[in-house]
Amino acid sequence: MNRKEGKDILDTSRFYRALGTPAMLLLTFLFLIPLSIILGKAFVDVDGGLSLERLQAMLSDPYTWRILRFTLVQALVSTLVSVAIGLPGAYLLATYRFRGKGIIKAICTIPFVLPSILVVLGFVIFYGNNGMINQAIMTILGTDTPPLKILYTFAAVILAHAFYNFPIALGLISSFWEQLPSRYNHAAMTLGARRWTIFRTVTLPRLVPAILSASTLIFLFCFSSFAILLVLGGGPRFTTLEVEIYRRARMTLDIEGAAALSILSIVITLVLVAIHIWTQKLMTHQEEIERIDERRLERRPSSFTGRVAVMGYMVFSVVFVLGPLLGIVYRSFQAPVSRSGDLAFSLRWYRQLFGLEEVAGSALGTAVTALLSSLTIALVTSIVSLTIGTMLAARLRRTNRKRALSMELYAMLPMAVSSVVVGLGYYLVSSAIVGGRAVGITLVVLAHVVITSPFVLRSILPEYRKIPFSYTQASLTLGANVSQTFRRVELPLLRPAMATGAAFAFAISMGEINATLVLADSSISTVPIVMYRLIGSYNFAGACALGTILMVCCAIVFAFTETMKRS
Amino acid sequence: MKKHMILLVLAVSCIPLALFAQGTKEKPEASQRSITVYAYDSFVSEWGPGPIVVPEFEKASGIDVTLVSAGNGGELLGTLELERHNPQADVVIGISNELLHETLATDLLLPYRSPALDDIPEFLHFDQTNTLLPFDYGNYAFVYDSTKIQNPPQSLDDLLDPKWEKHIILMDPRTSSVGMGLLEWTVAVYGEEYLQWWERVKPNILTIADGWSSGYGLFTEGEAPLVISYTTSPVYHLLYEDTDRYRALVFDQGNMAVIEGVGIVASSQDIEAAQAFVDFLLTDAQSAIATANIMYPVNVTTKLPNAFSLVPKPEHSLMLDGETIARNRDRWLDEWVEVMSR
Repeated sequence: MNRKEGKDILDTSRFYRALGTPAMLLLTFLFLIPLSIILGKAFVDVDGGLSLERLQAMLSDPYTWRILRFTLVQALVSTLVSVAIGLPGAYLLATYRFRGKGIIKAICTIPFVLPSILVVLGFVIFYGNNGMINQAIMTILGTDTPPLKILYTFAAVILAHAFYNFPIALGLISSFWEQLPSRYNHAAMTLGARRWTIFRTVTLPRLVPAILSASTLIFLFCFSSFAILLVLGGGPRFTTLEVEIYRRARMTLDIEGAAALSILSIVITLVLVAIHIWTQKLMTHQEEIERIDERRLERRPSSFTGRVAVMGYMVFSVVFVLGPLLGIVYRSFQAPVSRSGDLAFSLRWYRQLFGLEEVAGSALGTAVTALLSSLTIALVTSIVSLTIGTMLAARLRRTNRKRALSMELYAMLPMAVSSVVVGLGYYLVSSAIVGGRAVGITLVVLAHVVITSPFVLRSILPEYRKIPFSYTQASLTLGANVSQTFRRVELPLLRPAMATGAAFAFAISMGEINATLVLADSSISTVPIVMYRLIGSYNFAGACALGTILMVCCAIVFAFTETMKRS
Repeated sequence: MKKHMILLVLAVSCIPLALFAQGTKEKPEASQRSITVYAYDSFVSEWGPGPIVVPEFEKASGIDVTLVSAGNGGELLGTLELERHNPQADVVIGISNELLHETLATDLLLPYRSPALDDIPEFLHFDQTNTLLPFDYGNYAFVYDSTKIQNPPQSLDDLLDPKWEKHIILMDPRTSSVGMGLLEWTVAVYGEEYLQWWERVKPNILTIADGWSSGYGLFTEGEAPLVISYTTSPVYHLLYEDTDRYRALVFDQGNMAVIEGVGIVASSQDIEAAQAFVDFLLTDAQSAIATANIMYPVNVTTKLPNAFSLVPKPEHSLMLDGETIARNRDRWLDEWVEVMSR
């Protein structure tokens, strides 16, 4: 439309095009070039020449197909279960008005930012054979054998994946649901339809894009799962592509083989990302959106069974999510008290953490410094990421379809690549650049920006596309220039989405370890790094204490964002 | 104002560009001798041996040391390989005997016969070319929870007893060096029949973790009373938790050893300084390294904290030679996966 109008004041393309450039540059130099160098090794044969031999060999190996099939199956089942658990919750959040909604949303985002090793530990502490649930039942029944054998099966893997991912379904679907215009429901109700019929025939079809969008994202995360799968699944019966990539890259030093497998995995994840982008477009193409406060939310379910169902779901999801998290918190308040290693309540780890008790050789002493540098890095990351993500969204909002898709895919690329391969790429970067502490921190921040900006982009872009272009045109016609329009009209409308994006960027940056470990020199340590060092030196409870601090930080940030959105 | 913002972000995003262009690191002034040392992360971290050893060396020798964390195990070698045309390091710390063959094949390191080798027992000289010099070592061992087990197994064969059903936590050799250590251990003991041990131990395995961290975490959580780890693992519990609940098992048939090596990068601009650093690691730094890494020192003259003498030390260490490992590793892993995923 704006193309027809030529070079008059309504032509905004130059401004928006310029906005996308910095992000693209950053992505290219810090991500795409190192990645291409690593992946390029897949095309090098034994003698150093170029060939497709490696890829052909990999593709004709039945073993590749076997693990690929398992990878896809476990991801599919995990996705279905996560969505099935998330959907009723999304209904509750979208339909009823109750206290503590913000807190529920904040808690749900916590598993997402925890390092997988801590999630595994939390799971074991809570659901394990010697875990809290089994201990409780054993005390009540007075038996010695654990009654519930939940872990170390395929079901345990699915359970853990659902724990990680159902909050994504819950968040994505409920925020979309909240905005669906309610008048169709009212119309149907007037025509005598029952609630269930309305849900099935009116609401559900319109939720499909949101459900698909959440599903693709969850599928993507489960696709590259690795620690959870091996530990909780019980071993090598459950092998994903990621495990094989790791084996080649780190254990057998077959970087070429790892690159070949990575190409296979990237092809698949890119398809998923493309589907995800498509579903997001579907979501914005829905007709007009109601603002939440215009939609009258019911105070509570009308029937008794409804209330019981609601309570049941609430209890289930809170136990499900909070259980393992509480396990981590619980363990952080325990320390061995006797020579036989019995555990009892103790503030020992927190005393060490905050420097009230000095223990030579304990990494906990460095925790406060690490916390401060983590917070600083996360803050700067979220600001830069937010800026870049917003600019990128402005750039991508109005471009012709094919180019927009390829650029969007490009921007989302960091989400699709296995972290083992990304790690190798960062070794390249870090060996090309050697500098002091300042350079190290800058690199870490930039890497975090690359990692987090897809998340910022995917929370802002759909909202951006919802802003009718007529607003922009009206503003321009009324005499504002493009940059004023961008700042005064568009940005304020994007505020809730920007808050969500920034919160995710903050949390992901707080929990990030792979890139940090490679790019930061030894003088910089962040919370996850100290956590890994603690675990590496047998101090699991200390790591749990630090993990608790990390969870509290992220919960505060998310709760703060929720209030930002409402005000 | 927005324009300024854009310029700012542009400028920030150009930093990597400028730095890439700069490429190689500028060597400091000639007046101050300096070396760059690559080591694995826990060596470099604040409470690792690095921060104790490096300042002592700098003070004693007047040579500046830049300590860089460059990944763990295989990653170290991978990093050196990636930097082949743009070498940064003078010394690399932490390539184990398992990667000896690969290390020699890269031709990136320079042999050095350190005088300190005379104080190091013969069985630790894992590299006859002296390209990788031993600086600490450990023995893999099964660690058990003494509150749950009174009569612990005394050999690999004992572990096959049905009474240990779902009692053992192991690690995946594809993703964990400890896991690889156990796989090699079974090869060292049973030769080509090693797969039978694995086939029979399957019912006794609770889970096979991705790495030592999660596996050992499960063990201390009480999920199972036996775990594969190091003979020195109880030292930590003694030193920092004052408990002897967790004990390591020394088998008469021997425990698999892993020896960590240090090497000098051939492209080093100051070979003498690099050699001085290696000498220091093998002598004065031994006690600090052993205590921080909870590994055994290689130098027989080293004084150690008492806790080390409280845990059993294997009579003999088993080892496979580097070439055998390099030649068979992939086959062993493939066969192992095949058996274990049935």
